[in-house]
Amino acid sequence: MNPFLAVTGLILLTSALMVLPLVPALAELHSKSDALPLSVIQQHTGEIRFFADGFRSYMKGVEPTLRECVSSGSHATGTMPDGSEYLVLGRGEEALFLPFRERNEFKPVVIASGSDLLLPSETNFSKDIYSAGSVIGGTKNRYRAILAEKEVRLGRDSSVMRWVHAVGEFSADPACRLYGRVSSDTGVRLSEDCSFLRLNAPYIAIGPNADPKQEGLQVPADVTTHQRLFHDGDFEIRAGEVFLGNLVVRGRLRIGAGARVRGSVKSEKELVLESGASVDGSLISASIMQIGSNCAIRGPVIAERMVLIRNGTHCGTLENHTTVSAPEIQIEEGVVVFGTLWARDQGQVVAEL
Amino acid sequence: MIYVLYVIVSVICIYTARHYWFTLNRLFAFQRHPYIDIDTADWPPVTVLVAAHNEEKVVANILSALMTVKYPEDKMLVIPVNDRSTDRTREIIDEFVERFPGRIRPFHRKEGKGGKAAALKDAMELVETEVILIFDADYIPGAGLIRQLTAPFFDPEVGGVMGRVVPMNCGTNLLTRLLDLERSGGYQVDQQARMNLRLVPQHGGTVAGVRLSALREIGGWNDTSLTEDTDLTYRLLLHGWKTVYQNRSECYEEVPETWPVRIKQIKRWAKGHNQAMVTYGLHLLLGKHRASLRERVDGTLLLGVYIMAPFTLVGWALALGVFYQGVAPLHGIVAILSVTAYAAIGNLAAFFEIAAAVRLDGSRKRVCLVPFLILGFAVSIFAVSWAAVSQVKDALTGAEFHWDKTERFRKAAS
Repeated sequence: MNPFLAVTGLILLTSALMVLPLVPALAELHSKSDALPLSVIQQHTGEIRFFADGFRSYMKGVEPTLRECVSSGSHATGTMPDGSEYLVLGRGEEALFLPFRERNEFKPVVIASGSDLLLPSETNFSKDIYSAGSVIGGTKNRYRAILAEKEVRLGRDSSVMRWVHAVGEFSADPACRLYGRVSSDTGVRLSEDCSFLRLNAPYIAIGPNADPKQEGLQVPADVTTHQRLFHDGDFEIRAGEVFLGNLVVRGRLRIGAGARVRGSVKSEKELVLESGASVDGSLISASIMQIGSNCAIRGPVIAERMVLIRNGTHCGTLENHTTVSAPEIQIEEGVVVFGTLWARDQGQVVAEL
Repeated sequence: MIYVLYVIVSVICIYTARHYWFTLNRLFAFQRHPYIDIDTADWPPVTVLVAAHNEEKVVANILSALMTVKYPEDKMLVIPVNDRSTDRTREIIDEFVERFPGRIRPFHRKEGKGGKAAALKDAMELVETEVILIFDADYIPGAGLIRQLTAPFFDPEVGGVMGRVVPMNCGTNLLTRLLDLERSGGYQVDQQARMNLRLVPQHGGTVAGVRLSALREIGGWNDTSLTEDTDLTYRLLLHGWKTVYQNRSECYEEVPETWPVRIKQIKRWAKGHNQAMVTYGLHLLLGKHRASLRERVDGTLLLGVYIMAPFTLVGWALALGVFYQGVAPLHGIVAILSVTAYAAIGNLAAFFEIAAAVRLDGSRKRVCLVPFLILGFAVSIFAVSWAAVSQVKDALTGAEFHWDKTERFRKAAS
């Protein structure tokens, strides 16, 4: 072969190989098919009521039909602008006699009247449910989403896949599984063996005997101390002791029975709060946290691995709501959380820890 | 010469391993977002400082956005820090003060030392709250951002917090698209991996927060620093305060749209970073303080990212030199240097980090632009190296650092 041609060929081939990765790049630069700014959450979709608020707006389209059905006591069916089928019930109890369980039956958005919506047992509700009154569900039901202007009560062994919002109290009978967001403007009450992920309400009472009105922690409105004690290794606040200031511990932290921290605490390893102890600020652990019975914490409770909370403990107060959050939360009956209870992976109500 | 080359290759290999470690961690390991779930709390009073020097094009956007965020109105005070502006910035701020009485308290700075740190330092006389959030005027915070940036301060170990910056003008031209990719890699992978691994997430000085008591403990804003954010990161670390990164606390920013502006920006960053390296590097690595061993090592490597540019150039020159000298064992070294230099890219997030970040962001076609990053890299490596050389020259001649404001490209809000 001619050496000149060989060298030229080699140069051309090398150049082609160099340019090859730039071909899709040039195409994208020219077409700008993916050139919009990354979608940033500007509207705070993390707000727990985001979906419920959106659904309420969505339902405004059938308000006239709903009013007609309520006044006539009849029901109506139709199609929403987005193509979803709906069923408007003038009388909520009528739902008990509808063929939801039949195979290939139409699965509409259900809209109840001002009277309570009573739902049959062992049914899969694959579309969102709206009730202008309460929703009383049967046992072993499976829901996608529920919005009720009054109370919501789920029967034993039911599950919710996406979200529930109740203007009145939300309650779940034993062994319910709440996979999405559950919120209430009044309160949430869970029974034994219920599992949950994200709950928000003025009070979240665990078990039938948890009393949100019971006197909890009496703390000053504002903890103004900014003094910080830093401790390498393990640390203990002895039983009955009062600790003033913020505390950061690089090891394990034990707060003895009846002790009080007038500030916030953080531990890099396990944090144990013994019975009757109280913390005026926040309680943070980079590991596991065990909160004993009848404790009181005013600020956020955050653990990076797990939180165990025993009976009688109050997190937050009626006036000052807070957040309890960890990947895994196990909580005994008798606990009350005011605000948000958020288990990123799994939350479980247990009889005894 | 060959031993210098060995050292350079070794250091570049360390950075390469670090990039791989971060990327794999971000892709496959447990992701730490400990404070992002705090959505209900007795929120503390906060002061939002908005640094503004001749920002007539953008300041109205950020003030409008801040007036609509979901944070208790009686607990949030916005202080626009109008730093010697000669355009309509003051007029625009005063219009907002009138429209939102009691919610905005302007700080009009007419004279004094130049630079953001100096302006923030002077504005501290108006700050009374324990939590301070800082934004540059070209940022547009979303509704939940103030809460998200405040939440980490419930942890008494946290002294600083940093959110994620997302370019809003990324589609303008090739430069903005490349900067979009770089930001993606830097935040989505680099910062989050450092958060996951309990290393040293960097305070960015905007979309960020600092605790007042921590700031006082470390001596306040350092107005001699060209990059007050890097300076703050290391002083907090040396005093036992954590800086945390919140990847889901995203905020739009405007990135430079012309190469001269970009070069000026990265040269300032490089000088500021190198300044911090000289000031804190040795003490961080070997001194007596509260930083853990992993924080010491990572913090030192982080301080060195901008010096890697001239380091890499020297390595290339040496590699070529020894190659033409015909030293036999060097062929392996040359190969390693070529591969690792391509992958490590001193001052920028590495290519594979960026590709992983783009994937994590759910973007599709923009990953095709990754080969063009070599262009951005080439510009940066020479700009940063030039900055390092001029910094040494300045140090020798006693010349003072000069702070250059980044030019804005947005059209002024009507």
